[in-house]
Amino acid sequence: MQLSNIRRSFGSIHALKGVDLNINHGEIIGLVGENGAGKSTLMKIMSGFDDGFEGEFLVDNVPVKLGTPQKAQEQGIAIAQQELSLIPALTVAENIFIGGDHGPTVASLGQLSKMARPFLDEVGLENVSAKTLVNRLSIGERQLVEVARLIAHKPNLLILDEPTAALGESDSNRILEMVKRLKAAGKSVIYVSHRLDEIFKITDRCIILRDGLSQDSVDTKELDTNKLVSMMLGRELHSMFPPRDFSKNNTKNKTIRFEVNSLWPDRTLVPINMKIYAGEILGLAGQLGSGSGEVLAAMAGMHDTQGGSITDCYTQENYLPKNAKQAISKGIAYGSPDRKYDGLFLGRSISENLSSPNLKGISSKGIIQPQKERPLVEDIAKSFTIDLTRLAQEASVLSGGNQQKVALGKWLSISPELILIDEPTRGVDVGARAEIYNKVREIADSGKAVVIASTDLLEISNLPDRVICFYKGCYVSELVGEEINSTNILQAITNPENILLEDAS
Amino acid sequence: MSALEYSTSMSSGWLAKKITKENRVGFAILVVISIAFIYFAIATPNYLSVFNVKTIIRDAAIVGIMGIGLTFVTLSGNFFLLSMKETAALSIIVFAMGMSNDYGFIFSMLGAMSIAVLAGAFQGILIGLGGNPIIVTLGAAGILYGVASWWSDNLVIFFKRPHDAEWLGTGMVLGVPTITISFVIFAIIAELVLRKTSFGRQVYLVGANRAAGKATGHENLPMAIKTCIIASACCAFAAIAFSAQMSSAQANYFSSEFGSSGDLTILVIATVMVAGNSIMGGYGSVLRTSLGAVFISATDNLMVLQGFNSGARVLSVGLMIVLSILIFAYVRRDSRSEG
Amino acid sequence: MCDVTQGQRGKTMNLIKQKLTELDPDLLFAVILSLCVFSFFAFSNPLFFTLNAGFSIMERFAVLGLVGLALTLCIIAGEIDLSIGSNAALSAVIVVRLTDSMGAFPAIGIGVLCATLIGLAQGYLIAYLKVRAIVLTVGTLMLLRGVALFAADEKTVMLTDFRMTDFIQEKIWIFFSPASLLVILLFIIVGVFIKYTKYGREIYAIGGARKEAIASGVNLKRPMMIVFALSGFCAGMGGAIIGLRSGTAQPLALQYLLLAATVAAFIGGVNILGGKGSVIGAAVGVLTVNFLNTGLVYNVTPSYVVQIYLGVLLLIVIVFQTLSILYDKGKQRRLLLHDTALTKQKMMDAYKSVLK
Repeated sequence: MQLSNIRRSFGSIHALKGVDLNINHGEIIGLVGENGAGKSTLMKIMSGFDDGFEGEFLVDNVPVKLGTPQKAQEQGIAIAQQELSLIPALTVAENIFIGGDHGPTVASLGQLSKMARPFLDEVGLENVSAKTLVNRLSIGERQLVEVARLIAHKPNLLILDEPTAALGESDSNRILEMVKRLKAAGKSVIYVSHRLDEIFKITDRCIILRDGLSQDSVDTKELDTNKLVSMMLGRELHSMFPPRDFSKNNTKNKTIRFEVNSLWPDRTLVPINMKIYAGEILGLAGQLGSGSGEVLAAMAGMHDTQGGSITDCYTQENYLPKNAKQAISKGIAYGSPDRKYDGLFLGRSISENLSSPNLKGISSKGIIQPQKERPLVEDIAKSFTIDLTRLAQEASVLSGGNQQKVALGKWLSISPELILIDEPTRGVDVGARAEIYNKVREIADSGKAVVIASTDLLEISNLPDRVICFYKGCYVSELVGEEINSTNILQAITNPENILLEDAS
Repeated sequence: MSALEYSTSMSSGWLAKKITKENRVGFAILVVISIAFIYFAIATPNYLSVFNVKTIIRDAAIVGIMGIGLTFVTLSGNFFLLSMKETAALSIIVFAMGMSNDYGFIFSMLGAMSIAVLAGAFQGILIGLGGNPIIVTLGAAGILYGVASWWSDNLVIFFKRPHDAEWLGTGMVLGVPTITISFVIFAIIAELVLRKTSFGRQVYLVGANRAAGKATGHENLPMAIKTCIIASACCAFAAIAFSAQMSSAQANYFSSEFGSSGDLTILVIATVMVAGNSIMGGYGSVLRTSLGAVFISATDNLMVLQGFNSGARVLSVGLMIVLSILIFAYVRRDSRSEG
Repeated sequence: MCDVTQGQRGKTMNLIKQKLTELDPDLLFAVILSLCVFSFFAFSNPLFFTLNAGFSIMERFAVLGLVGLALTLCIIAGEIDLSIGSNAALSAVIVVRLTDSMGAFPAIGIGVLCATLIGLAQGYLIAYLKVRAIVLTVGTLMLLRGVALFAADEKTVMLTDFRMTDFIQEKIWIFFSPASLLVILLFIIVGVFIKYTKYGREIYAIGGARKEAIASGVNLKRPMMIVFALSGFCAGMGGAIIGLRSGTAQPLALQYLLLAATVAAFIGGVNILGGKGSVIGAAVGVLTVNFLNTGLVYNVTPSYVVQIYLGVLLLIVIVFQTLSILYDKGKQRRLLLHDTALTKQKMMDAYKSVLK
C-alpha cells in the first residue's frame, strides 16, 4: 500500500497536512505519534471509514477509492480499532463471522464453532470454546477475539490500533507472536501503539506522525527510546507550556491542602495514598487502565471504590463523595476524559453549559436570576478566551478546542478548591491547548489544588510540578522538579521493574 | 429579557436554523403544506369566524393541557407516557364520585389530583430507577384503567346540575370559555417554569445529556418523578374539566371513541411531536406543544366543516403525525447519533 | 457392583447440574411462572382443566402468538412496533370485506400482503431515515386506524355467510385448529431462522449493541426491514384469523393486543435494551398470558380486571429483570475485583522471584 501527501481537514482543523506512508508485503511498520498527531484520522482513511481526503492512495500500485469499510475489506485491508466492536450478547463464533460476506448464510452454532476454531487457535485462544458468550470473557480475551475476527477475513494488510492496551504480559506476547507469524506468511501489518517497547520488538520500520505531518520512515534498528521520543515530540512544541518554577518545590514552604487516604478504586491493585499541595499542579502519569484516571474519578464520586477517603486539611473534614452532587458540595471539580459523553450539553447554549454545575448559586428560591447568571458566565468565558458574543449559541457549533474550554470552564462556576482533570487536552488543537495550560497554571498559582491525569507524554512531562507514575494499578514512583522528563516518565509507566525492585529491596 | 422576547428569539432562531442549505427540502414541504392549509381555510365557509376560532381553541384545550404536562416528560429525556388516558380515566371517576356524593368541587378535585399525583410518582420512580418509560407506563395503564372500571363498576356516574364545577365546565369569562382560559394559563405558567426556574433548566439539561447531567449533579430520578407527577396532574385537570362539562363520568370516556380523532394518548403524544419537540429530550418548549394542539384541532375542525367523516379525520391526523415525524427526522438527520 | 452404579448416577447428576447452570435464568423464570399461573387456575376452577379449555387456550395462542412473536423480534432488534394492533385491525377489515366476493383464501392472501407491505414500508423508513421505531409507530398507529375506519366505512364489517369460514375453527387433534397449527409452524420456522442464519444473528446484533454491530460491518437496513416486514406479516395473519373466526371486524378493535403481547414478550425473556430473547421464550410467554386470559374468563372476570392482572404481571417481570441486571452488575464487579487480586498476586510473585 502506498499513501502520498495525504491531507485531511475538518472545517478549520487540519488533521493531516501531508502524510506519506509506504508498506510492502511481509513488512511490519510501527505508526507512532502523540495524541492529536493524526493517527486515528490516518487509520480511518486507510481502512475505508473516511474518504474525504486529498492525496494519492494506491494498493498494489492501483489507485483506490474506498468509500466504505466493506470496500476496504475487499481490497484485503482489515483494521482492529481500539474500541472493541464485539457484540456481547452473541457467542465468539457468531461474532467472528458477523458482518461481511466471509461467513456462511445458514449454519448451526456447532458448524460456526468448527469454522472459527483455527482462527481462535491462531491468536492463542485454544482454551476458549467458540460457543462461549462474549460477555463472559475478560477484556484481554475479547481483544484477542477481535483480532481473530480480523484474520478470519483473510486480509493482506492488518492495521492494529493499540491491540495490547488492555492486555497483560502474556496476552500481549501472544499478540506479538501472532504478528510475527503473519509477517512470515507474507502479510503486512501496521502496528499502532504507545508501547514503545513493543514497537522495538517487532517492527521493521517506524513512521512517526507529528502534528499532521509524517517524517521519513526510519528503520527500527536505528532507533532507541530517546531518539524515538524526541522525533515524536519535537522541540518547538515546548513553547505552548507555561514556564515552571521548580524552586517552589521546596517542601518546607508548601502546605498540604488535601490528603488521599487509602483510596482503592476498582481496577487498582492496592490502595493509593497521595498528598496534594496548595498552589501546585500534580500530574498522574500512566497508561490506560493503570489507575491514574481511576483515582481521579473515584475522588469525585464517579467511580466505584472499595474504600478510602479524602481529607480536607483546611477544615479537617474526612469524606468520600459518592456522586457528583456530593463532590460539588465539597468544592471538588472533575473534568471527565470524554467530553462528548458527559462533559457537555451539546444541544444547549454555551451559557447554560457554563452555569450547569451551579444552578443553586445563580437562583434564589428556585428562580434563575439572570443578573447572577450573566456575570458569572461572562467571567468564565473571558478567562477562558471564549468569544462573548457566542454565548447564546449551541455548544455543538464549537470547535474541539473551544468545546473543551467550555467543558472545563463550567467547573469554575462552583469556585472549586480541588480541580481534577482527566485528559485536559484530548482532541484539542495546539492553539487552544496553550490557552488551557495557561489557565490551569493560573488556577494553581492562585492557591488552589490541581491534579491532572494524562496519557499524553508531552503534556504530563511539561505541565505539572510533581508527577506520580502508575503502572498496571500500582503506584510506582514520584518525580519532582528536574526529575520530570519524558524518558523518566515513560520508563516508569511501561517498564518499572528496576524501580519496583529498588522499592522492594 | 421577558418571556415573550425570549421565546420569540428562540422561535425565530429556530426558524433561521431550519432554512439552511441542507434543510431546503424539508422547509419547502412545510411551505407547501402551509399554503394548502391557508387555501382550504379561506375556501371553507365560516372557518375563520371568531366563533369558529374560539371553538377550535376550546377543542384543543383538553388535549393541550395534557400535552403541556407530557412535554415536561419528553423534554427531560423520558420519552412519553402511554398511561395518559388511563390516568385521566381514574381521575375522572374519583372526581365524579366526589361530586355525586356532594363533597363539593374542592374536595373532589383534591381527591382526583392526589390519585393522579400518586400514579405519576409511582411511574416516575420506576422510570427514574432505570425502567423503560414505554413499558412501565404500558403496564401502569392497564392497572389504572382496570382500577377505574372496577371502582365504578364500569357504570356512568352522574352529578346533578347546577353543580360546583359549572364555572369550569360551561362557564365563560368575557365571552371566552373557562376551559380555554385554563389552557392559556397552563401554557404560560409552564413556559415560565421551563424558562425561568432552576427546575426547568434541569429538565432541559438532563434531557439534553443524561450522563453530563449526572456529572454536574443533576440525577434523572428526581426529574423523572417530578415530570411524571406534572404530566399526571395535567391529565387529572383535563379530566376534571371534561367531567364538569359533561356532568358525568365513566371509565371509558377517554377510550377509543374520544373526540373524533381516536386514541387520546396517541393524540397527546402526537401533539407533542408534531410541534417539533425532540423525542430525545433537551430541545423544545411548551409553547410549541400548545401551538401543536391548536394546529391539530384546526385541521380537524376544517375537515368537519368540509364534511369528512371520522375515518378520514383520523387518517389525516395520523398522516400529519407521520409526515411531521419524517420531516423533522430528515431535517435533523445530521445532528443525531446512530443509536 | 455398587461402585459402578454409584459412579454412573454421579455422572448423570453432574450432567443435569451442568445443563441447569447453562439454562437461561430468564427462560427458567418464564417456565416456572407459566406453570404457576396454570396450576393456580387449574386448581381454582375445575372447568379450566378440561379439553375445551385447552382448545380455547390454543385458539387464543394462535392470535396472541403471532403478535407476541412479532413484538419479541422487534424488541430483540432494539425497537418496538406500537402499530401492530392497528395493522391487525386493518387486515381483519380487509379480509372480512373481501371474503364475500372472492372467497376466504384469496382474501387472506390480500390482507396479509397489505399488512406485510405496510410493515416493510415502516422498516424502510426506520432504516433509511433513521427515525426511531417508537416515534414512527406512534404515528402509524393512528394512521392505520384511520385507514381501517375508512376501509370499513366506520362500521363493523360482517360476513354474509358465516359458514364459509367455519373450517378455521375445526378441531384437529383435540386441542388444535388449522389456525393454531399454522402459527406453531411459523414459530418453528422463525425459530430456525434466527438461530441458524446470518440474517437472524444480525437481528440480535443490532439490538443489544447497535454501534458495535455497525462497526462490524452489519448493514442496518437488512435486519430492520426483515423484522418489520415480519411484524406486518404476523399482524396481518393475526387480524385475518380473528376476522374470519368471528366473522366480523371492527376497525377500532384489537388495541389490547399491544399490552398483552408486550407482557408475553417480557415474560418470555426479552430485554428492553435489545439483543436478548428467544422464540421458545416468546412461546412460553404467550402461553402464560393465554392461561391467564382463559382462566380469568372461566372465572367470569370482566375484561378491565384482566387488564389489571396484565399490568401487574408486566410490572413484576420488569422488576425481576431490573433486579437481574443489578445482580449481573454486582457479579461483574466481583469478577473484576477477583481478577485484580489475582493480578496483584502474580505481580508480587514475579518480583519476588527476580529478587531471589
